[in-house]
Amino acid sequence: MASISLKNVSVNFPIYGAGAASFKKTLAASVTGGRFGKETGVTVVQALSDINLELKSGDRLGLVGHNGAGKSTLLRTLAGVYEPSSGEFVRRGSVSSLIDPSLGIEADATGIENIMLRGLVMGMSKRQIDALTPEICEFSGLGEYVNMPVRTYSTGMLMRLAFSISTSIEADILLMDEWLSVGDADFTEKAEKRMKDVVAKSGILVLASHSPALIAKECNRVIHLEHGRIVSVS
Amino acid sequence: MNQAHSNLHRSAWGDWWEGTRRTDIWWTLAWFDILLRYRRSMLGPLWLTLSMGAMIAAMGPLYSSLFGTNIDKFFPHLALGLIFWGFFSSLVTDSCNAFIGSANYLKQGYFPISLFVWRSMARNIIVFAHQIVLYVPVAIWAGVSLSWSALLVIPAFILALVNGQALGLALGLVCTRFRDVTQIITSVMQMLMFMTPVFWLPENLPGRAKYILWNPFAQMLELLRAPLMGSVAEAYNWWGILGWTALSVVASSLLFTKYRRRVVYWL
Repeated sequence: MASISLKNVSVNFPIYGAGAASFKKTLAASVTGGRFGKETGVTVVQALSDINLELKSGDRLGLVGHNGAGKSTLLRTLAGVYEPSSGEFVRRGSVSSLIDPSLGIEADATGIENIMLRGLVMGMSKRQIDALTPEICEFSGLGEYVNMPVRTYSTGMLMRLAFSISTSIEADILLMDEWLSVGDADFTEKAEKRMKDVVAKSGILVLASHSPALIAKECNRVIHLEHGRIVSVS
Repeated sequence: MNQAHSNLHRSAWGDWWEGTRRTDIWWTLAWFDILLRYRRSMLGPLWLTLSMGAMIAAMGPLYSSLFGTNIDKFFPHLALGLIFWGFFSSLVTDSCNAFIGSANYLKQGYFPISLFVWRSMARNIIVFAHQIVLYVPVAIWAGVSLSWSALLVIPAFILALVNGQALGLALGLVCTRFRDVTQIITSVMQMLMFMTPVFWLPENLPGRAKYILWNPFAQMLELLRAPLMGSVAEAYNWWGILGWTALSVVASSLLFTKYRRRVVYWL
């Protein structure tokens, strides 16, 4: 059973400007008693504060809010990228993150090699990947291009590959930043169907979007974020 | 990705082991690092062997006549010195970039960070394997005779790997937070190359300069080099390295325990 539980979770980002990340300045500040240390005073951005959230199988959560409200940070925290600065976070179930599918694609490796690399990083064993590879190649519709380095691909082809890999494994929890729509008319239709499948098979969906229509269509719960806080739940 | 995830009750040891046991991931990543670097060159990783070979062949006769030492003795000394030094120095300087260079993975999901230190170590071991083969013809030419004591190279290499992992975690963390440290490390390693008996013979040192041999790189080099040249390293090298290892393991465990989950915030 998939579940997610957040209790009073806050995420603070220290922003190290050009000044603060420098060892010299921190050192200078410590030997001069902090007199020159003012510029090392680290700015802390509170990206999420006091988030309480309980999700169980069957929940389809929509995240709404303007740019910088904390939607992506919340998604990344759920993915396990950011360890909360305070609060409790417990997550059960396998996770598939469709936050940025093209992140981690190696431009000099071929399509097939990228399937191997991404698969391993997503937690699959080599044998599982070998079994899935023909299906992924087939779905991406890249034909002979799968044996070419990814840097020779067009943007659309790159997106197709990334999409096909990321959506090829089933997971209990699906994290998405906007609905993925890629490629030309033919592929969009295929991708749309695949997205629906993946979403239907997942236990929990968390979808951040700016489109009220999409949220209304896909989600049964909605939280509204503003300045890193939950302002309304519905 | 993993089945259960929480920010509570995570043991540092568990996090370290989780990254370590996924050999398939870090080995494949390291293999691809090498493969992609040489993809468009005809000789590929053989360049590693060739360039090191050219360096040894060019420097051997020159330095043996400069120092006035017998070339039969000097050549194997120099070959092992250069090969092992290359390994040490790229291991150290690469570990500064272990996490910065893996930011694209770390920002995607949760990864135990030891995975990326292993990746950088595995990459350097692959490079080292391409270069150590050069010692075979050198040893045959110089008529080095090996005894059972040559097997001491195995525990010495294991100690080198333990130090590589410990230093890798510590330097990776520090260099991600303070970006200047990478520059400091690079220049310190350059300086240490001359302070370590890579080219010169330790027996040429005047007595008052013997303290130089307490440098951990000199001791590690001696432990790895002596067995392969048919001699045995002096005991103080073993004690010295065991001490340095204890120090680096303790320091890196402290840093790792405290900051392992903060790295992503620094990227």
